[in-house]
Formats: sequence, structure tokens, C-alpha cells
Amino acid sequence: MKLTFPHMGNTYITAKTLLDDLDVDYIIPPFNNKKALEIGTKYAPELACLPLKINIGNYIQAYEKGADTVLITGGCGPCRFGYYCEMHRAILKDAGYEMDILTLEMPNQGVKELYRRVKKLAGGFNAYKIIKALKNTAQISKSVDELERLTFQVRPREIKKGSTDKIYKIFLNKALKTNGSEALKKLIKATEDELREVEVDRNFKPLKVGIVGEIYTTIDPFSNFNIQSKLGNMGIEVNRRVTISEWVIDHIIKNALHLPRDRSHIEAAKPYLGTMIGGHAQETIGNTILHAKEGYDGIVQVYPLTCMPEIVAESILPTIEKDFDIPILTLIIDEMTGEAGYVTRIEAFVDLLRKRKERTEHGRDWLLSGN
Amino acid sequence: MAKKVGIPRGLFYYQYYPLWKTFFEELGAEIVVSDFTNKQILDSGVKSCVDEACLPVKLFYGHVLNLKDKVDYLFIPRFTSISKGEYICPKFGGLPDMIRHSLKELPEIIDTEVNLRKSKKNAFKAAVDVGNYFSSDRHVIKSAYQKALNSYREFRSNVRKGVLPGDILSKRRGVLNKSSDETVNIAIIGHVYNLYDNYMNMDMIYKLRSMGVNITTIEMLDGKVIDEKNQMLPKKMFWNFGRKAVGGAFHIMEREDIDGIIYLMSFGCGVDSFVCDLIERKVRNTKDIPFTVLTIDEHSGEAGMNTRLEAFIDMIRWRNRNEADVPAYG
Amino acid sequence: MGETGYYLGIDVGSVSTNLVIIDEEDKVLEKLYIRTSGQPINALRNGMKTLTNRLNTNNIHIKGVGTTGSGRQLASVILGADIVKNEITTHAVAAQKMVPGVKTILEIGGQDSKIIVLRNGVIYDFAMNTVCAAGTGSFLDRQASRLEIPIEEFGGYALRSTSPVRIAGRCAVFAESDMIHKQQTGHSTEDIINGLCEALVRNYLNNLAKSKEILEPIVFQGGVAANVGIVAAFERALGKKIVIPKYHDVMGAFGAALIAKEEMTRKNTKSNFYGFGTTENEYKAKSVECQDCSNMCEVIEISANSEVIARWGDRCGKWSELDGSSEQVG
Repeated sequence: MKLTFPHMGNTYITAKTLLDDLDVDYIIPPFNNKKALEIGTKYAPELACLPLKINIGNYIQAYEKGADTVLITGGCGPCRFGYYCEMHRAILKDAGYEMDILTLEMPNQGVKELYRRVKKLAGGFNAYKIIKALKNTAQISKSVDELERLTFQVRPREIKKGSTDKIYKIFLNKALKTNGSEALKKLIKATEDELREVEVDRNFKPLKVGIVGEIYTTIDPFSNFNIQSKLGNMGIEVNRRVTISEWVIDHIIKNALHLPRDRSHIEAAKPYLGTMIGGHAQETIGNTILHAKEGYDGIVQVYPLTCMPEIVAESILPTIEKDFDIPILTLIIDEMTGEAGYVTRIEAFVDLLRKRKERTEHGRDWLLSGN
Repeated sequence: MAKKVGIPRGLFYYQYYPLWKTFFEELGAEIVVSDFTNKQILDSGVKSCVDEACLPVKLFYGHVLNLKDKVDYLFIPRFTSISKGEYICPKFGGLPDMIRHSLKELPEIIDTEVNLRKSKKNAFKAAVDVGNYFSSDRHVIKSAYQKALNSYREFRSNVRKGVLPGDILSKRRGVLNKSSDETVNIAIIGHVYNLYDNYMNMDMIYKLRSMGVNITTIEMLDGKVIDEKNQMLPKKMFWNFGRKAVGGAFHIMEREDIDGIIYLMSFGCGVDSFVCDLIERKVRNTKDIPFTVLTIDEHSGEAGMNTRLEAFIDMIRWRNRNEADVPAYG
Repeated sequence: MGETGYYLGIDVGSVSTNLVIIDEEDKVLEKLYIRTSGQPINALRNGMKTLTNRLNTNNIHIKGVGTTGSGRQLASVILGADIVKNEITTHAVAAQKMVPGVKTILEIGGQDSKIIVLRNGVIYDFAMNTVCAAGTGSFLDRQASRLEIPIEEFGGYALRSTSPVRIAGRCAVFAESDMIHKQQTGHSTEDIINGLCEALVRNYLNNLAKSKEILEPIVFQGGVAANVGIVAAFERALGKKIVIPKYHDVMGAFGAALIAKEEMTRKNTKSNFYGFGTTENEYKAKSVECQDCSNMCEVIEISANSEVIARWGDRCGKWSELDGSSEQVG
């Protein structure tokens, strides 16, 4: 068995930690690329959401490098992601790619089937080994997220433009070839040190923008045209509360073990969106409010065309925009999105945020001098 | 004076109206249903709803606008799940919130959550919550709910006998129209709110009938048959509609009396994008039966719809004649 | 009797109006391709005039008339057609005549595009473009005029491309803005045109041709088939040979004539054809939004010498059922 898994930003680091520590043989697909999207668009239903299409491209590119089994997590709806595994199965089969799909979820057939799948994945059921691997995975996942957050802070402040991007890119490529949680921990630490040494303007007060929306397209730089780096290089400090580690730890591990989860966004969303409706709609609403309360200057919502939960969120956001007086930009992405129009909208939004800031600051200055 | 409850003629109206009607009437409320979908409802809905939503949701907005000044309450229940272990489209769960944050000056919304995912008993709980708006007597509510269930069962049993829900709801019992050509049997798969809103689908059902087509829909099928066919899927469909559509389609494929299958989908419907694709793959991989997908959105032109319907029926008749060795085109 | 019979096929599309006359041997006697320019009645009149001038119409006995295309109803009313057929069926019939055994028909016209799959000489499956104009001839026309290149030379430019550019866009508007962007970044016109051809073909194959098995022989017809750039892009994408039939630009009309012949031979009745001079009548078409109900249907009314001869477009049938009391709309 030669495993592969779909890309989603830097998730491959988390996934490879797990597989390395379980001694599983795997192939990481080439980083998300136009060809992968093209392959996916060719085989997937036209109105399927973008992540499904890129996933298909990942699998087929990994298949060509020798992978024969796909590892993916599942779900029980109502968001379409829960049925990805079956769509993947049907699409790959019809396209003539013989690949097995291994879905990590509680199957209809019960615990026994789950046990079978884990055993197949881990090549046995060594509980100690599995728990240790999970622990390392969670840890790596967390520190990768912290490292990414550090780039959010350094990038807008760096004196020499492009320094952060360069260091982070080298890290992403090195991580591909670094095996095992111990080596990865070292790499992360070294990168962190390097980032901290980047020369920054300590007096610069960047505008702050929160990124919300559907998880895949917010986390994955290929599908969102690298929005975090784009904003950062325009001198904006971005933040994104939905992260891989949050998703892995909160969503999968804590949920499975019935541990208490972070509910702050749910509480915040309550007056606007009363129930869980799947996907990340509640996070989108709740985190927008939390960012607004923290004094952020603007919010960017990103989601793939036809994403059901985010359409609900988008309908509610105008009220929040008004109630909290925070500008919100919605960016909808599909395989047809052209970068030019996309960038124009981001630039216009940033201009708007700057103008707003200037006006409020000038207003204050004027008040002070009038005193 | 009786309180007026507004029921928008959209989405689950097409599935549950007989139940709601009896329930509210038994509680002494007056029911006002929005007008049949028309151009104005469509235009106002499209204008007030986010662009990315599917047409049925946009139409629902239009129906709410059509009603809002005529009633004391708007009945927009929050549907999370309508059957055990299953979900429906996320937009239904967020519908009252979407409406509330997009439309202004609305009457009070009855947005009781209906969530039968954990247990069927929650249906009665939801009924009590809704009933409390009109009566504090639990017995009255319970009796109204029982009668409502009976109305619903009668509706379902009529449908199962072969009457289209759309015919019952629009009281337009135009059965099979006479046509000189031989009768063709078509199964149409799609959400009830796409199939039975005649304005939205450009009178598809009546157009087909006037071409001499007999129509079967999944609502007419036996639930057991649907469940049985669903076992063919490796992972259970978690959308209620998806389970019914897939099970229904697999069953229809095996029937010799069905000449063709039409899948009616609304552009931008997430559930349709998966369900239709799975059905289409299955049909094309296993059976040589004509299959077509008709997609509708607010830009769909009637001419295109007519051409597709005519060509589809032509194709079936052509094929049938060909099998009978009569060389003839359409 | 004994005199040779001829059959007239007319395809009234939104971009072009085509007329074809065939003889009893299915040979094309005359074919015309006329720009509709938004005025189908004028186009028909021009067509009939040209035919009268070119042929000795007194000796041409028209035994059957078939109309097709989005204006098929209009043409039928004005000329007196014997059959009115949708353009999918007519295109398939014509392609089969030109290329016996054809298995796949790619058709790209002015405002729509289609794929038709045939097996054993019967339409097996088909699809028509759903969403937008990005995969049609009008889109290319528009881009050609934007680049100030005659559409006839468009394809030649594409063939001279050395490094293709990827133009993104689901719909014509976005593709256009992306194209402008590529122009500004300094790509050569040849490369951009080639990029447009590839984008059109990609959209076509990804959307229309998905789940269709494209087997040879493959016929490419419709106005766009004259564009060598598109043909080359199709052949590259499919890795297969593409056949352009002789009458590729008037296949709908040709098919309509063939079906008319088949039908009239079967029925053995006299044609409804009003004669070549009929278009000399004073025709008026007007469209009125009916205000009688909230459907606000757009009713089309055709009158000849100020007498109403046909109406359509209403959902209720009130206007289209002409009862002699020629009440005027509006």
C-alpha cells in the first residue's frame, strides 16, 4: 500500500508527521498547481466545490508517482465535504484510476470497520505507537500554525520586502524532505529563529484584517491566490482563527473523545446564526464578530463557489458589518477565477480600509487641536 | 380576530403544506399562502438575496416579500433534519437567519427548529413550540398535531397512488393530456420545490404531458424500495433528499416501463451537484436508458427548456421506433 | 404529376437565418446564410427574395417545409410549415446524412452550443450549453471586433501562436476582462487568440461534454466550425480527427428539409407552404407584457396585413388560442 492524501496549504506537514511516526509508506502529491486543478475540473461535476476538484488533481498526480490509496477524513454532513470520499471513489473509478479510498471516520458499519481501517493504515494496532504518533502530530500541527502566525506578524513589518516569503517558502520545501516528528520540530524551531531575526519596523502600526470563510479556501494559498502573503506584503497584518491544528485537535480528536471544545465563536455567533448548519458558517460569523471586537480594521470572507454554509454566512454578514461598523469583503473562488480581477478587489478593499483609518485618525487629531 | 400566519409558497411548502394547513387551522389561526410564483416574486427575490444562492432560495425570499405586509406571523421553521440520522441542505438550517438579516420590516418569524436527526419525537416537540404561539393548552395542540398528521398521511397516500404533489397543491388536476403520439413514460428526479413550482420550471410538467408523456417522480415510490436500493452505496447518503433520489433512481433504472430519466436541478445547488453526478454515473455505467439533466436558474430561457424537452422526447420516440425497426426521425 | 418535388428547410437562429432547398434525392439545390440581425421577419423576407431571384421558382414545386431554430414557430407561421422541429433533432439528422455512421456531433452556433451523441444511427444523448455565452460564436465575434481582426481571420491568427496564453473565465464577461489583462501584460495577439480558442474548447469540453463518450467519427458543425483555430484546439484537446461537413453552417436547415421530406412522403398530403411570395405581406411582430395577472407573460403577436395570425408566449393560453375574434394585445 502506497498512501497519498489531498493538499490543503501546509496540512501535508501534519499528515506526514502522522504517517512518518506510524512508519507508513506514502507519496505527497506535487503542491497544488494549475495542472491539478485542470485535471480535477475535467473529471469532477461542474458545480462541485473547488476543493473537491483540486483533491482529484492531487490524487491523479500522486497516482502517476506510484500512490495507490487515498487517505481522507470523512463526516456526516450537511456540508458536502462529508461525502467527498464517495465522490472521489466514483470519479477516480470512472476516470480509470484504480485507487482505494481510506476514510478516517466512524463508518456506518460501526467500530469494527474503523478498527479495520486504522489497522490497515498503521499496519497493525499498536495502541502505544498510535497514541504517541497522534500526540506528536497534534504538537507539530500546533507549532506549524504558530510559525505561520509569526509570518503574519513579521511580513507587514519587514524592512526588506519579501524576506518573510523567502524564509517561509524554503521552510515549506525543506519540510517535504524532513522525516519524523523530531526532525520537523527542529526545522520549525530553526525557521522560527530565522523569522525573528528579520529586520522589522517596530514603530509601524499595520492595519489588521481577519480572514474568515470556508476552511480549505482560507487555508490553502493556491486556491486563494496567496491572500495572506498578498495582504501582508501590502503592509496588512492578517489573522485567521480557523487553523489546521484547531481543526485536527478540536474537530477530530476532542470531538471523538468528547472533550470540551473552544466555543467562543459559537457564543459570539449565537445572536446571528442560532444553530450549527455544517461547514464553517458558525466560525465565519463568530470569528468575524470576535475580530471586530478585538478592533480589527476589516474582514475578508473567502469561499468556493456554491459552498452552501458560506452562502448562509454571507447573507448574515451585512448585518454584522453594520452592527460592528467593520468593512467586509467577500471573495468567491472557482476554477474560472482570474487573478487580475481578484487582486483589483483586494487592492480596492485595502485602499478603503486605509481611507477609513485616516479619516478616523484625522478626525481625532482635529478634535484634539480644537480643544 | 384570528391570527394570520403567512406560509411562503416555496421550499418545503411543497412537501409539508397539507400538514401545516391542518395544524394551524385546528389551532384557530388563519392561513395566508403567498401567491403562486410569478415574475414579480422572482424579481424581488433575486434582487434581495445574495447572488450565490440557488434559485429556490431566491424565490423563497420573493414569497416572503409577497406575504410580509399581509400577516401577523411568518412561518419559516428552521429545518436542520427531517429524518433520523439525516440532514438537509445547510441553507434550510440557516434560512430564518438569512431572511432576518436580508429583509427589512418583517412580522414576527416563527422559526422553531425541526431537528429529527437524534429522534423522531422532536417533531412533536417542535409542534408544541409552534402551537404555543396560538394556544397554551397542550391537549389542543396535541389534537391539532394528530389531525395534521392525518392530513399529511392522506396527501402522501394520494401521491403514492400516482397523483403528482403539484397537482394536489395547485388544484390543477390536469391528468394526462391527449396526444396523437404514443405515450412515453418519464421519471423526473429533483427537489420538490423545483419540480412543482410551475413558474420556476417553465411549466415543464404540463409541457411534457402535452407531448403525451406520463410522469413518475420519486415521491410516488415506496419508501422501502428506496431504502433497499440505497444499500448499493458504500457510504450512506446523509442528505434526506439525496438518499431518496439515489434510491429512487436506482429503482427506476431497473424498471422496464420507464423510457427515460430527467434530472431537474437548480444551478448552484450543492446537494444536486453531488447527487445528480452519482446518479448520472450509475445510469450511464449500467443501463442504456435516455438520461438528461435540465438546469434552471433565473437566467434560464424558456426557448432553451422547450428545445431540450422536445429533443429528449424525440430522442426516446426515435429510439423506440428504431427498436421496432421503423426507420423514421422524430 | 411527374414534376420534381423540392423541400425547403429553414433555421431561424438568433444570429443567422439559414435556408436550404433539397430535391427528392436529398441533394442541396440552394443554400443561404443570412444574418438575422435581430429581425427574423426581414431575414426571412430577404431569404425568400434571394431564392426567387436565383431560381425559377415557378418551376420549383415545394412539397414540404420544415422549420427549426429558436424562431421556428415564427417561421412556421409566416411560411406555412409542415413540420416544426427542435434544432437538436435537425442537426443530428443532417449530420447523419452527410457523414453516415457519425457518433459525435459538436455544434457551436451564434448563441448556443450543443453536443449530440449518436449510437447505431439514433440520438443516444445530448446536451446544450446551460449558463453563458463564453462557449459560443457571439463571444468570438465580440472578441474579434475588440481586437480589430475580421472574424474570418481569427482562426488563422490562432494557428500562428507560438506560446499559448491561458485565458480564464466561466462567462464571457470574465473571460473578456482576463483577455484585456493579458493584452496589457504584453502577450502577442496570436497567443491571445489561441488562448481564447483554447478557453472556448475547454469550457465546452468541461461543461457540455462531461460524462459523454466522444467517439469517432466526430462532426463539427455550426458557424464556428469555419474557425480553423477552434478546430485545431478541439483536435489537440481530444487527440482525434474532426470532420467538417460541406454544409456545416446550414445543417439545421438541411436537417429540417430532410425531416420535412420524410414526413411528407409518409403522410402523402399537400404542403402547407404559402408560396415564395408570401413574405411580401406586411408582417408585424410585437411583444407586449400581458398585465392580466402577476405572471406578466411576454406575449408575441404576429400579424400579416394587420390581421393577427399567431400569438404565443402566454402561460395561460388566453392569447395563443386564436378564436377568430381577433382581439389585439395591449
